[in-house]
Amino acid sequence: MTENTIPSDLLNLQLIETLDEIGEIILRAKEIDSCIDQIMKSVRNIFIFDNVVLYLCQKDDHLEPKYARAIGRGRSSETDLAWGETIANDSLQKNEIIIRKEIDGDYTVNRMRLRYFIGLPLATDDEKYGSLVFVRYGGPPYLSDQTQLCEYIARNISLLLDRINLNQTVDSLKHELQLKLMQDDFVATISHELRTPLGFIKGYATTLLREDTSWDDDTRREFLNIIDEETDRLRELIDNLLDSSRLQSGTLRMEFQHMRLEEILKDVCIRAQTFHKNQEIDLEIEKPGITVQVDPARIEQVIENLLSNARKYAPDSKVKITLSQENYHAHIRVRDFGPGIAPDHLDHIFERFYRIPDQTKSTRGTGLGLFICKRIIQAHNGEIFAESIPGEGSIFHIKLSLDLSRNSDKRRTLVLMEEKL
Amino acid sequence: MTAQILVVDDEPRYVRLMEANLLTEDYDVLRAYDGQKAVETVAENHPDLVLLDVMMPILDGITACERIREFSNVPIIMVTAKGEERDRVRGLDVGADDYVVKPFSATELLARVRAVLRRAESNGSASFQQPVFNHGNLKIDFTKAEVFKDEKMVYLSATEYRLLLQFAQNLGDILSSEDLLMNVWGEEYRNDKEILWVSISRLRHKLEDDPRNPQHIVTRSGLGYTMPKI
Repeated sequence: MTENTIPSDLLNLQLIETLDEIGEIILRAKEIDSCIDQIMKSVRNIFIFDNVVLYLCQKDDHLEPKYARAIGRGRSSETDLAWGETIANDSLQKNEIIIRKEIDGDYTVNRMRLRYFIGLPLATDDEKYGSLVFVRYGGPPYLSDQTQLCEYIARNISLLLDRINLNQTVDSLKHELQLKLMQDDFVATISHELRTPLGFIKGYATTLLREDTSWDDDTRREFLNIIDEETDRLRELIDNLLDSSRLQSGTLRMEFQHMRLEEILKDVCIRAQTFHKNQEIDLEIEKPGITVQVDPARIEQVIENLLSNARKYAPDSKVKITLSQENYHAHIRVRDFGPGIAPDHLDHIFERFYRIPDQTKSTRGTGLGLFICKRIIQAHNGEIFAESIPGEGSIFHIKLSLDLSRNSDKRRTLVLMEEKL
Repeated sequence: MTAQILVVDDEPRYVRLMEANLLTEDYDVLRAYDGQKAVETVAENHPDLVLLDVMMPILDGITACERIREFSNVPIIMVTAKGEERDRVRGLDVGADDYVVKPFSATELLARVRAVLRRAESNGSASFQQPVFNHGNLKIDFTKAEVFKDEKMVYLSATEYRLLLQFAQNLGDILSSEDLLMNVWGEEYRNDKEILWVSISRLRHKLEDDPRNPQHIVTRSGLGYTMPKI
């Protein structure tokens, strides 16, 4: 090894290390500013410059500075510095590297009046992203290997911009897809849910209408009962759909009045036990006489929905309803002793269309019931939430503000304001 | 002889509806409430006709139909909901004979059943292969799509299973690479021999005692492959 070759080897080694570092920075980069900061720090060991600016194309094709650093001479001159906007535009338009020398007055007095620019387009085959400009005051001019280094940096930044761009596109497509899937899923569920009862009604009605056969009384009654029940189911489903869409658009009207909560709960329980004799309901009024201002029909709807869910998801369990008072709240607890709800799903069950995946196939439902409950309770400025221990059952809690203005007996009508999901 | 009809639907009310109407026509009725049970019932009871719902838990109607076709040509009527045109086409593609669209009227259902049974009768009665196929130490259970080597279950990918079925269902025949590629992978793969080589090699490693000296899937140089009769 001769003495002459040593510096050149050292330089190459340093260059390789710098290139390697730039590659590494680009690979790990999540956003542009800190990435360029790191690259500039790394590259300054082998390449002298004073200012660097990154311009990005805006929607109207104009360039806007996205990143700028004054590192070397003239840091204190701030905006008087040269930022190479013209060269940035030229370089992007021509899609080529432009090296330019600019003299602005007598540079022997102030060397900052002599500027060397290098403008590099940031573009890939399909996309133009902007330009990168390096500025050096007073010389020396850029050498060809330095130009190559700048080109390497610009190409890598272009790749990073490309990646960021692609990631953004993927994110927004994912989001759109998710919305679409949710909608498709809903349409599929709804049409299945509407068609199932319709299929039974049609099937059993045409069975009874068959002229080539006759049915005994028991069978006829069995079929008519099915038709009757399926008609109710269809009506309930349509009501739910309409309520849900009115709650969503903010057009569901509520009629508020002073009510004793225990009366509402008793009514619901009596009705449930008339129609569903197998469901055992235990109603416990810890504190009688709790008065609240509510729309009684809507509160009944909520409790009925919870009871109907208990029949569906905890079919053999009794249900315990408790009414108590806590500070300024009435507290209703609806408890079942069924299989419970896994913690992953507990946070989501009040979302519109949400259904627990395992149950989607085995139990009929649309994912609207609890959403409607939540919106109704929200319209009462109340709170509804659930807790559950898998294997032991679930408790649905409803908290409603106590009616403290008992002397005002006026009915009021409230139209729910639209609220974003 | 009274025809025996298997009714499959996860909604008990549909099963009851179809059963009640079929009984008035003096058919014997078997019931199943999911696809897997349907396949097993066909294998055990050899019914004359299957009414098969599409949307079902455990095993959907399309897959159940596919499985049944691996060992039986029993007439199958798919029962689909309206608007599920894709399912109807897929059902016919995997070997269903006809379909009824929900909601259906009782008389329409019975008319379809009569028509399909009549057609089947003129074609000769339904045939059932053994739902379990044996080849030396190799066993395939068509009803569950499971493969065993020396009584131990072997995990096969869906493609590997379909490839193996080609041999089992054409025992002793020489199958050309093109045919295998078209039947298992599809028309566009007919010249993609390497993909077949990789899969045959993988199958042999899973199923053969000595993959270099195969007994189940044998190469016939220049012609193709065969599963020789034992």
